[in-house]
Amino acid sequence: MTDAVTLKMTLPKIPDIELVALEGLDRLARHLGIAEEKIGEARIIVTEAVVNALEHSGENNPSVRLEFTMTTNDLSIFVRDYGKGFEPASVEDPDIKAKLHTKNKRGWGLNLMKSMSDDFRIESNRNGTKITIKKLLR
Amino acid sequence: MEQPFRLTSEVRDNCLVITTAGYVNNVGGEAIAAEFNRHFEKGIRHVVINLGQSRVVNSVGMSFLIEIIERLEESGGKLVFSDLDPAVEKMLSIMGLFQYAGKQKTVADALVSLAGAGKADG
Repeated sequence: MTDAVTLKMTLPKIPDIELVALEGLDRLARHLGIAEEKIGEARIIVTEAVVNALEHSGENNPSVRLEFTMTTNDLSIFVRDYGKGFEPASVEDPDIKAKLHTKNKRGWGLNLMKSMSDDFRIESNRNGTKITIKKLLR
Repeated sequence: MEQPFRLTSEVRDNCLVITTAGYVNNVGGEAIAAEFNRHFEKGIRHVVINLGQSRVVNSVGMSFLIEIIERLEESGGKLVFSDLDPAVEKMLSIMGLFQYAGKQKTVADALVSLAGAGKADG
């Protein structure tokens, strides 16, 4: 197994900044010789994680801390925002039947991250939210 | 870096074919919905969305597609996705979009499936 490579960044709240994170992800994968199709789901997870975190990042520190650690076997993703936090257990899984014919068609991010990852942990309090995700790349 | 969002559309056999390239975010999703609405008002009820050149999408962008499904459901229309990247396909599946929309490998396959749906409709 190739040694792990780590990338850390702080992303400000500006449009499409999640693409910078994806560029970093792609570069790590290329460095490790990981085929592009193996990181497709990781791209979606990272996109949702960054978009979600920035949306809830609050007024005082509208930024997101992001860390990837990638090996040829897996990817660890750590995302932290500095918003007011929420109670993760109170968030119901979205249902398309319930979304049809209602105004709010959003709210898929958390469920997508959970469903597409191999391990998902969330910790949230009034100082912000930390999400740790593992995604196998085999 | 993922290319900026672009959209092209054409009407083939009374079906609207929307082809996107680049990142489908909220702006891209809104643009797809606007293009759909423009044709829906003219009576188009069968739609193909080709996402083959969009390997990165987000759920905010995809939530606009639920609006399209909603309008087509109400009017007896049908949406078919084509050329999906496997990860995007999985995302749409998790969101439940394939309960209401079809998926095909290519635009040509999608048009064939919609032609069949049109005959079945009447």
